[in-house]
Amino acid sequence: MIAGSLLLLLLPLALAGVVYILLRWETLSALVATGGAFLLGMAVITLPLDQPIRLWGRRPITIAMGETVTILGRELTVEPSDRIAIAMLFFTAAGIFLVAWRMSPRSLLFPIGLGLLSLLTGALLIRPVVYAALFIEIAAALSVFALQSENTHSTRGSLRYLTFATLALPGLLVSQWLLERYVFTPDDTSLLSTAGILTILSFALLLGVVPFHTWILSVIGDSLPLAGVFILTVNNDAIWFLLLDFLEKYPQMFQQTEAGSVIITAGLIMIIAGGLLATAQRRLGLLIGYAVLVDNGAMLIALGLNSKVGVMLIFLSMLIRPFSLIPLASGLSGIQTSNAGNDRQQSLRSVGWRVLWSVAALVMGSLSIVGFPVSAGFAWRWALYRALVPTHIGLVLVLLGASLAVMSGFWRMIWVLLDRPRSPLNRRVLPIPSAEKGWTVVVLATVILVCLGIGLMPQTVASLTLDLVESYTFFMQ
Amino acid sequence: MPTLDFLTRLSFLAAMPAVAGIFITASILLISQEWRLNIIALAAQYFFVVLLMTRLIRLEMAVIKGLVGWIVCMVFYLTERRVSSLIPTPPLESSRWRRWIMSARTFFYLLAGLLVSVVAYTAAARIPLPEIPEDISLACYLMASLGILMMGMNEEPVPVGFGLLTFLTAFDLFYVALEPSLAVAGLLEAVSFMIALSVTYLRAAQAATMASATPSSPTSSDTKTISGMVEGQESLS
Repeated sequence: MIAGSLLLLLLPLALAGVVYILLRWETLSALVATGGAFLLGMAVITLPLDQPIRLWGRRPITIAMGETVTILGRELTVEPSDRIAIAMLFFTAAGIFLVAWRMSPRSLLFPIGLGLLSLLTGALLIRPVVYAALFIEIAAALSVFALQSENTHSTRGSLRYLTFATLALPGLLVSQWLLERYVFTPDDTSLLSTAGILTILSFALLLGVVPFHTWILSVIGDSLPLAGVFILTVNNDAIWFLLLDFLEKYPQMFQQTEAGSVIITAGLIMIIAGGLLATAQRRLGLLIGYAVLVDNGAMLIALGLNSKVGVMLIFLSMLIRPFSLIPLASGLSGIQTSNAGNDRQQSLRSVGWRVLWSVAALVMGSLSIVGFPVSAGFAWRWALYRALVPTHIGLVLVLLGASLAVMSGFWRMIWVLLDRPRSPLNRRVLPIPSAEKGWTVVVLATVILVCLGIGLMPQTVASLTLDLVESYTFFMQ
Repeated sequence: MPTLDFLTRLSFLAAMPAVAGIFITASILLISQEWRLNIIALAAQYFFVVLLMTRLIRLEMAVIKGLVGWIVCMVFYLTERRVSSLIPTPPLESSRWRRWIMSARTFFYLLAGLLVSVVAYTAAARIPLPEIPEDISLACYLMASLGILMMGMNEEPVPVGFGLLTFLTAFDLFYVALEPSLAVAGLLEAVSFMIALSVTYLRAAQAATMASATPSSPTSSDTKTISGMVEGQESLS
């Protein structure tokens, strides 16, 4: 009998090895990575936890998803609450692999991404948090191989991500030790407040809260864009689940340190900084980074609401974010490929006419990340505005202002990209042949349509948040 | 075992002398740009940390942690050796050597290192770390602060990697006293090793990009160009 948790840890690792060998055949490797991640996601959701499943063959294999397995002296079990979280990671990864098939073929993103899925699943399943933090740190070190693109001299993105993840590790491990001591000496509240401060600091580093946000910008601006999106969706989701598990297990720690107001202030600073700096950006990659910063700030504000609705909003944001970031990264990849890896505004003039589908994906992604109606991002932003209006109308106005600032930055870039080149002799518009053909167009069109589809029917993902939020009881109201 | 006997005989060093050794090696890692010297300093730093660890955990476990550290040094050595064959560095002339000794960069890094060390010393005296002796607490503060300084003042993979490893070693020295679990110790060593692999991968990728910018058989003028790139990079960092 194979335990489900073991399957989720080992199968992605085995697939990573296979995909690495197949990497020279771009379609086959992408197909194996995408299919593997998708099927594992489906298995997590559909296979029952309470009864084993027999797979028929010459030698029948039995899979028990809910079976407990012991690794490193710790028990790992797939709980009902973990299922949607793990499936979310696998489905997001599958979507990124599918787009990477055309936008970043033969990159190390495929095998490394599968390895990361194994480590992050382990981080979600294993307890106590000491092990989860160590798994996340190993995942951060492994991410470097995917983030570094072959023809780029700059190593800033991967190095910064690794640095901030490493700086976050001690705080998480020591806070766990302090909390274990607090159990034996409950009168010593200084242990609790120190643990709270260390935990907040560590998660601020991991989530890129201002002033620790520089890695977010570099991960998108100086690395392989789709690998950056993998970090900002899959890795980020795992960190959010870890944070929510912390809150679930030690609710008194955050009450002690008045975390609610601290979190809202941090979110507000991120939104203001992101909005202000986005308008001044002259690089498309950095502009996307600042848009993510504003979105992260909005997520922190949702958490700072200290309510069940706030947690639901966080899940909604996590579910919708890939539908904003994948179009943005695929657009950026297409533009960079046609412009010798350059994404500076002065070099982008008229480039858009060569890669119209990439520009269309960029437009769709930019509308979604700022929460424009009919795009995927609108569903979560609208729900956040509605939750904030009765008590925090000022925050709504600031968030709207920052979103407008980010949109104006994208608008300026798109204007430059689609500037029509004219003949210097008779001012006749010059024809530019398209660089996008075949499957690339199909993949980009699918990305745009899916983003639009989720915007028109947000209930398809929104209903999942209800199942996710049931596992967290720290905010009862 | 003869190796462990040798370490037992050196136990008289496992106090302030080891802390002084850690301070010197971490300072060399911060200031020096010579990769051979840096790798020797990192290996020596792991040796002094092992000496201090023998006071907190079993000798065998401390030696295993040291072995992982020395394997990390080997990974750095092999990478830098390969990179130096890809990108030939210009020979050190006497005037250049003097410039290194007198350079503003060296003085600036030295001053910054001294300032941070004073802060670390004060912190160790005012806020000693729990469960460990004062001298080990000082060693942890020194390594952590100098490690952060290395990360903050460099953008090149290898110096940042040295900073990350120094910071992580400081934490490891503190954490072994708190968490005796073998699994956690093993995972922490895995983290160090993964960081070393990632950093050396970045260094190799960077060198390959620089090397591919020139034709396959470099002429003397090409070598000058690459050397110029390296110098430019050094001045930027």
